Amino acid sequence: MLEIKNLYASIKDSDKKILKNFSLKINDGEIHVIMGPNGVGKSTLSKVIMGHYSYEVNKGDILLDGESILPLTVDERAKKGLFLCMQDPTVIEGVSNSEFIRTAMSSKSQEKVNLYKFVKSMEEAIEDVSLDKNMLHRSLNMGFSGGEKKKNEILQLKMLQPKYIILDEIDSGLDIDSLRIVCRNIKKYMKDNKDSSLLIITHYPRILEYLKPDYVHILKDGKIVKSGDLNLALEIEKDGYSSVTGDDNVE
Amino acid sequence: MLNKILYVVDNNGKNNYHYKIDEDTIIYHFSIDGSSEVKIDLVKEGVSLKYYYSNINYNNNTFSIRVNHKASNTNSELYNHGVNVFDKKLDYYVDGVVNKKTSGCVCNQENQIINIRDGKSTICPNLLIDNYDVVSNHSAYIGKFSDDKLFYLMSRGISLKEAYKLLLNGFLINSKSLDLEKVNLFLQEIDKI
Repeated sequence: MLEIKNLYASIKDSDKKILKNFSLKINDGEIHVIMGPNGVGKSTLSKVIMGHYSYEVNKGDILLDGESILPLTVDERAKKGLFLCMQDPTVIEGVSNSEFIRTAMSSKSQEKVNLYKFVKSMEEAIEDVSLDKNMLHRSLNMGFSGGEKKKNEILQLKMLQPKYIILDEIDSGLDIDSLRIVCRNIKKYMKDNKDSSLLIITHYPRILEYLKPDYVHILKDGKIVKSGDLNLALEIEKDGYSSVTGDDNVE
Repeated sequence: MLNKILYVVDNNGKNNYHYKIDEDTIIYHFSIDGSSEVKIDLVKEGVSLKYYYSNINYNNNTFSIRVNHKASNTNSELYNHGVNVFDKKLDYYVDGVVNKKTSGCVCNQENQIINIRDGKSTICPNLLIDNYDVVSNHSAYIGKFSDDKLFYLMSRGISLKEAYKLLLNGFLINSKSLDLEKVNLFLQEIDKI
C-alpha cells in the first residue's frame, strides 16, 4: 500500500509551496488517477514520491506498506518497488539501453543478471512494446521519438517488475496506436501482478478508457479537492475543471 | 571503407605525438594523468581523421592538439573527453587549421570536461579557417554530470556510485567500434575514480 499523509512539499531553497496537505491512500491492486489543470502540482507529486533533488518535504509522510520512505535515497525507494514513468525521460549519451537496464536489474536483485536470460526477456519485452531491436544498443533515449521514449519507459517497467507504479503523463505525445500498445502492456502487467498498484497522472480521459481506474481525484492548489470514479474524468472532459472545482479562473 | 586504427595509451608524464595522415584513420588516445601535445597534418586529398581523446586527470595537466588540413577535401572530427577528478587544473587547447589554399574541408571538434570535484578546467577551442569553402563546428562543455541524469539512473534502483560508473564509462569510452581489450589499463582506471 502506498500512503501519502498530510504532505506539504516545496521547491528546495525556496518558499514556493507546491503540495499543501495532500493525502492519498492507494491499496494494492488499485488504479488511481490524478487530474488537474497545469501547474497544480501533479508532476511535483510524482517527483516528491520518488525523492527528486529539486523538492523538499516540509511536513507529512509517504509510506510504503506502513514504512516511511522519506529517509530513503532515490535508488533505495526504487528498490522498495517504486517506479516513475517519466513525462520526459532523460537522454544519456554513451550509456546503452541494455547496459542501463541490466545494471538496474542487477542493482535491484543484488546479483548479476544472467546474460542469456536477460537478452531473451529483453527481446520479448521489446517485441511486446513494438520497439526496434536495435534500440538495445543505442544510447539511452538518444534520438528516440516521443513515442519511443514512452515505450522505453514501459519496457523498463516490464523488466524491473515494480510494485508501486506512477505514470506521469505517459499519454502525452503518443499517437493513438502507440497509446494502445502502452496501455495494453500496462493492463497485462497489472493482470499478471495483482498486488501492484497504479497512480496515473494525466490531463485526458482517453487513457482511462483503456486502464479503467478505481478512483479519479482532482488536484487543485496542491491538494485533492474532489474524488470520484471514471465518470468524474468524463465530466471534466465535457465541462472542464471549473465545473468540478467551482473556479472560473482555472486555465 | 577500411580505416587505419591507432591506439595510444599514455600514463603520466609529458608526451608528444606527430602524425602525417595519408589514409583514412581513427586514433583512440587514452591518457591517465598525463600532458600531451599532438600535431596532426592531413596531407593527402580526401582523407578523413577521427580522433577520440579520453583522459582521466588527477594533477595539473594540459592537452593540446592541432589539426592542420594541408590538403583539400580533408575531414577531421575530434572528440576530446576528460574527467578532472580532484581540485587540479586541466587545460585543453584544440586547434583546427584550414589554410587559404585548401578547400572543401570539414573541420569539427567536440570538447567536454567533467569536474568530479571543484577542479579548474579550461577549454580553448580554436578554428583557424582561412578558406570560405569549409564546414566547421566546435563545442565545449565544462561541468558536472547533470542531476537529471543521476536522478533518472537512480530512479531505476541504481546506486549513486553505480550511476557515476555508468556515466563515466559512457563518457570516456565514447566509440562503439573500440577494441576494449586494447585499453584494459584505462578501463581499470575508470573503476578507481
